Amino acid sequence: MSFSRDVRPILSDRCFHCHGPDATNQDSDFRLDTRDHAVADLGGYFGVVPGDVLASELHARIHADDWSQMPPADSNRVLSQAEKDILDRWIEEGAGYEDHWAFEALPKSISVPEAGRLWARNPVDRFVYRKIADAGVGPNREMSRSKWLRRVTFDLTGLPPTLDELDDFNADQSVGAFERAVDRLLSTDACAERLTSEWLDVARYSDSYGYQRDDERFVWPYRDWVIDAFRRNMPYDRFVTWQIAGDLLPDAGEEQKLATAFNRLHSHKKEGGVAVEEFRVEYMADRVHTFGTAFMGITLECTRCHDHKYDPVTMRDYYSLGAFFQNIDERGLISYFTDATPTPSMPLPSAAQKTRLADAADDVAAAERAYSNSVESAGSAFRDWHATEGTGRAPQIVPSTPVAALDFETFGPVTTDEAFEEKHKYDGSRIPKPADSMRSFANPYGQRALTTPANTLVDGPSGKAVRLSGDDAVVLPGVGHYGRHDRFTISLWLRAEEVADRSVIYRRSRGWDDAGSIGYELTLEEGRLSAKMVHFWPGDALCVETVGTLEPDRWTHVTVTYEGSSTAAGFKIYRDGRPAETAVVRDNLTRTITDWRLGYEDLAIGARFRDRGFKNGAVDEFRVFDRALTAGEVAAVFAESDGSALSAVDEQDLFEHFLATLYEPSITAADALTDARRRYNEIYDEVPAIAVMRETEEPKPAYILARGAYDQPTTEVTADTPEFLPAFPADAPRNRLGLARWLTDPDHPLFARVTVNRYWQMLFGRGLVPTSEDFGYQSTPPTHPDLLDWLARDFVDHGYDVKRLLRGMVLSATYRQSADVGTVARDRDPENILLARGSGSRLSAEMIRDSALAVSGLLVGRVGGPPVKPYDLKHGYTPLNVDEGEKLYRRSLYTFWKRTSPAPVMVTMNAVKREVCRVRRETTQSPLQALVLLNGPQFVESGRVYAADLVDRFGPDIDAIAFEVFRRFTSREPSAAELQILTRLVEEQALRFRDDPSSARAILTVGNAAEADIRDRAMTAAVAVLVSSVMNLHESLRTQ
Amino acid sequence: MTRQLCTGFDRPSPGRRDLLSRFGYGLGAAALGSMLNKADAKASSTGTPKTATAKRVIFLFQSGAPSQMDLFDHKPLLNKLHGEELPASVRMGQRLTGMSANQSSLPMVGSPFKFERRGDSGTWVSELLPHTAAVADDLCVINSVHTEAINHGPGVTMMQTGSQFPGRPSMGSWLWYGLGSENENLPAFVVMVSTARGGQPLVSRLWGSGFLPGRYDGVRLRPAEDAVLYLNNPAGVGRDDRRLSLDRMQELNRLRLDETADPTLETHIAQYEMAFRMQSSVPEVTDISDEPASVLNLYGEDVHTPGTFAANCLRARRLAQRGVRFIQLYQPGWDHHSDLPSSIRHAARKTDEATAGLITDLKNQGMLDDTLVVWGGEFGRTSYSQGKIEGGNFGRDHHPRCFTMWMAGGGVKGGHTHGLTDDFSYNVVDGGVHVHDMHATILHLLGIDHERLTFKYQGRHFRLTDVHGHVVEDLLA
Repeated sequence: MSFSRDVRPILSDRCFHCHGPDATNQDSDFRLDTRDHAVADLGGYFGVVPGDVLASELHARIHADDWSQMPPADSNRVLSQAEKDILDRWIEEGAGYEDHWAFEALPKSISVPEAGRLWARNPVDRFVYRKIADAGVGPNREMSRSKWLRRVTFDLTGLPPTLDELDDFNADQSVGAFERAVDRLLSTDACAERLTSEWLDVARYSDSYGYQRDDERFVWPYRDWVIDAFRRNMPYDRFVTWQIAGDLLPDAGEEQKLATAFNRLHSHKKEGGVAVEEFRVEYMADRVHTFGTAFMGITLECTRCHDHKYDPVTMRDYYSLGAFFQNIDERGLISYFTDATPTPSMPLPSAAQKTRLADAADDVAAAERAYSNSVESAGSAFRDWHATEGTGRAPQIVPSTPVAALDFETFGPVTTDEAFEEKHKYDGSRIPKPADSMRSFANPYGQRALTTPANTLVDGPSGKAVRLSGDDAVVLPGVGHYGRHDRFTISLWLRAEEVADRSVIYRRSRGWDDAGSIGYELTLEEGRLSAKMVHFWPGDALCVETVGTLEPDRWTHVTVTYEGSSTAAGFKIYRDGRPAETAVVRDNLTRTITDWRLGYEDLAIGARFRDRGFKNGAVDEFRVFDRALTAGEVAAVFAESDGSALSAVDEQDLFEHFLATLYEPSITAADALTDARRRYNEIYDEVPAIAVMRETEEPKPAYILARGAYDQPTTEVTADTPEFLPAFPADAPRNRLGLARWLTDPDHPLFARVTVNRYWQMLFGRGLVPTSEDFGYQSTPPTHPDLLDWLARDFVDHGYDVKRLLRGMVLSATYRQSADVGTVARDRDPENILLARGSGSRLSAEMIRDSALAVSGLLVGRVGGPPVKPYDLKHGYTPLNVDEGEKLYRRSLYTFWKRTSPAPVMVTMNAVKREVCRVRRETTQSPLQALVLLNGPQFVESGRVYAADLVDRFGPDIDAIAFEVFRRFTSREPSAAELQILTRLVEEQALRFRDDPSSARAILTVGNAAEADIRDRAMTAAVAVLVSSVMNLHESLRTQ
Repeated sequence: MTRQLCTGFDRPSPGRRDLLSRFGYGLGAAALGSMLNKADAKASSTGTPKTATAKRVIFLFQSGAPSQMDLFDHKPLLNKLHGEELPASVRMGQRLTGMSANQSSLPMVGSPFKFERRGDSGTWVSELLPHTAAVADDLCVINSVHTEAINHGPGVTMMQTGSQFPGRPSMGSWLWYGLGSENENLPAFVVMVSTARGGQPLVSRLWGSGFLPGRYDGVRLRPAEDAVLYLNNPAGVGRDDRRLSLDRMQELNRLRLDETADPTLETHIAQYEMAFRMQSSVPEVTDISDEPASVLNLYGEDVHTPGTFAANCLRARRLAQRGVRFIQLYQPGWDHHSDLPSSIRHAARKTDEATAGLITDLKNQGMLDDTLVVWGGEFGRTSYSQGKIEGGNFGRDHHPRCFTMWMAGGGVKGGHTHGLTDDFSYNVVDGGVHVHDMHATILHLLGIDHERLTFKYQGRHFRLTDVHGHVVEDLLA
């Protein structure tokens, strides 16, 4: 008796729920998950007394039929008599425990059995034969060469063999024919596409964001990276390391960073009003779950809320693992009102864009040099000015003229022409408001400002000031429309009533999280002034904050200047005319701050869409300047406003003022620099961005979340791997790169086993561990444990070479077996546990569609590129516009994948929806599949195009036509009986189509493909029905 | 091997009869069988399986979250306190959505609609639902439903699957898995979404089978001619033509079956026959030309326009008649953040008559007794105004703490009102019914113990009700 095989599955499934590792959430102190716990003294009695059944409470309880019965009657868990016997015997034999095989280090070597010398073609077969022989049976016969080529061609490329390939292979009787065929297949692009297809389920790849809105996103370059990696046969450990931590590799380039999109392929939320932190935590959780399922075969989901009920995984393990995956500058909500890629992101410029960007960057550098030169050459002119101005009195700084100035002295009226909501309708038109519900403030330099009477007038530093409701903005139409290349200044007096978490002072922005905070803004956050310029907060933004806090109930004069460099250094904050001490919070602005939809065009004070306004705060003397005022000028503005004397002006202040306002060469050079920056930014804004991983400098604090709730942090944790698995290497960095190194250790208990098992499953229809997503206590034990270990060790020792692994599997005698057996053999082993016959798996969704296209000749073989929308996407739950031309005939892995409305043909054929990581598709058959395959235009069109070709080649020779069609779809020749049925089918259909020529015309024009020049329409239509019928045969839809 | 029938991805032992019933829309009750078999002797000693009072469910899901205090949950105090700030003692710091959390003021707003006690039972219904009010004595109104979700995505997902996050099976999929099908020519879980697509997006995962086998996905009936994806033969192929070519195909399949005895081949043959039958059984459901005017009139004028809520209600009855187990309707348009007074009037007008018509029709046909009708949205709405009250105009934000659903027929009390909320319709005071409790109760009515309908996935036995849920005895007739 084996503890792992016989006992633990019972304990785990029937007992651990209440007597397992999740100690804190169990009513009972008695635990059965370790021997120490099981044999512990429970106060004079013992759960398990090794060797003494009668003294063991466990024995008494499982046999009880009163209240003390275990498992209890209301648990819905029952032990069969056989299971009780096993537990009794286990106690009798000493109640030994073993560690779970899958959590033990991968053995250094596994000896290959001697069995099956005559049958075996490689070591795989030795293991398989031993099990077959132990069961007292023998392996099945080989399948035909044709069927083998069919199976291996589908398995490795996802496509059927061509008739030429079948003929060539059958003709090649020389040694090594099988090996050459496999090598040919492994070297094709189609093979890379097939392996990518399989990987996209693991990566939960989709071309849309998921959740409610589910808008399109730009991620297909990641998919093309995967294709390329498989084409180059990148070692699997490297393939995975790049995806987990490519950005952290030394000298990480575009390719390594692109691979990290893997961890951003989860769903992203775009829904107004959600708790942003809730979804940030959700993304972290998805990365943890994916890491667990894809690379370790352990189900971590449970441990988000409590210690695992079955496996030795704790909540601490879960959140410690999560700590690796959350150190990126992301937000839990993506932007509704802009098209910003959620951050962190990286640009993916085309070659042409790269050149243009380099040129534009050169122009910016040149403009910067020109400006520096102008400054250096200004000395004598400055001295001249100084001398002239200096006659009799000190040189003066004359405050510049603003472009807007609000003094808030009285409310004015509002005309109907002015009275509109800030938001626009979906069609972009404006929404009028009653003019008498609004008020205005005078602005001597432009359009007057608009507000509502909810804002009131109070005494300010000079005359009246505006006191803000927090929900009602003061909007300044027509000014402040600045881009990130522009230079500008805003100054104002402000007074907060109390220290609030957050108050919006002014903004030009579409909104807060619903718009990724796009625009620029000044907020008060717990008393600190925070100036921001944002494309998407927080990963693509500038933010500078004052170190000191403002006192409530005190008027402060604040000025913010910005000089157009898209850097935090370009922001300066002044308090009461003097530079404030500031800290840089974010310094990574790369993209537009002005591109958004549906209104909120203008600069405004005191409130923002779905943000916290400056409730009960007051503002006065609001000024906007069209350039970055110098320190001296800011002091002058303050002095003028305050009525105080301008403090001493030094030479530097005067020089800066001179450069900015009086010295023509520097003024011109500064304008030219702004212009160069604008041009650079415009080119950059056109470059698409893809969401990737980019580690923040400091790790974010990580906590265990009580019951998994985002707002219930408890104990702080640091990045670490689960305690029950090997220790994190001491010399590895505590980041994702270190994690990847830990995972890909040659002795890692799970990584290689899980991987070879998945590839075995891909080829044999079922993994050696059938629960390929779960290698834990609740998993189904491996059917061939030694073979699994041998494959894993061999895989590791040979450099994680995926194609070598596949080659070994498909060249085995095990793989060559026919799937056809008699009823006796089938009933003896219905699930083919022994592998004493071949597996005849059903074709995947992609294979079914791709083979229809391949057979008809419609398939377009181009590799990679943007996703395409074939016919069925118009029938999705959210109908999409169907593409035209060759895009209708690309391989199915390029079909646009919309998470909430996935391609209906694919989903009907058992494709997974790719909302979360899945390592297994389940194959079911349903009548809906029959309808799709018989009636779907993609398939009918393939049939009629192939039919036209057949009739063109064979004329009225129905036998020849039927023979080829059958062979093309099944890779074998029809028997005489079959051929007779096939020809009868054509004859019957031809009769009907001759009676009704319009029907023939109808079926021959299904789909967008051009109608061939057809001599005999009725015959061609009948052959189209033949093709469709053969395509729908059971045999045509299976690999054997 | 004893675990087979209930263990997730484990393959069944493919015996012939088993396969035919499990893979098709065949008669059979896979999970129920296993629920009973697995528990074998013990189950019978702890209580025999419950008697079902409902054989099927029609769930009239009102997407967007109808405002409870404008329809059923009468709160006159709100009218008295109209415009005043919601007391902090009522809100008790509970979280608000990002749409109103930052509002400086949360003014209470009374319902502008008149309420009256209706029927012999004296059930409160507002003037917005005159037709529903007329069948008030058939309704079991639950004013104390609550959930955790505050946004639509998580809220609808919770209502459909018992979890806020995607990935779990929909209720209809659970029932199909649990009870099997009564009609071998139709799927047991059918979904119809009103074509008025405005409002919050609904996504196909809501009727997905999650981690259950894909065959338990809800099948959406479209208003289009192809009510099921590619139901109709391609142009130029008639039904007789198809029958003829299908006969040849099956001959070929059978030849192969003789050689291989492959059980999946038997399934294949059966599925193609089923598909052929569906080509007539589905149009039979969607073609309402045999309905007398007296029936059509019950549902209102919209019943003649495919894709409307009314047309879908009638289809629902036709599906119910044919033994479809779970019929899920989705009607969008209840998300009234602003302009509530006019928008809710519109939403009510779109649904009220057909809803009541369905109840009456089921009753007339003698089907209401064993058909459970469920009405409600994903959460409720706030008693304070989102944004400002401007004249008679206002909006209400999402509110998870209490909302109204009702059930009718299928073994629930008629003319009964359950649960009590506070005077602000903000918190449950008595008889709270969590969404998990709703699920437990619905399963109970169908004769299923919600703790026993499980599916093993990723090593864990999952339930519709997760680890929660209690049957609400007070609702049962």
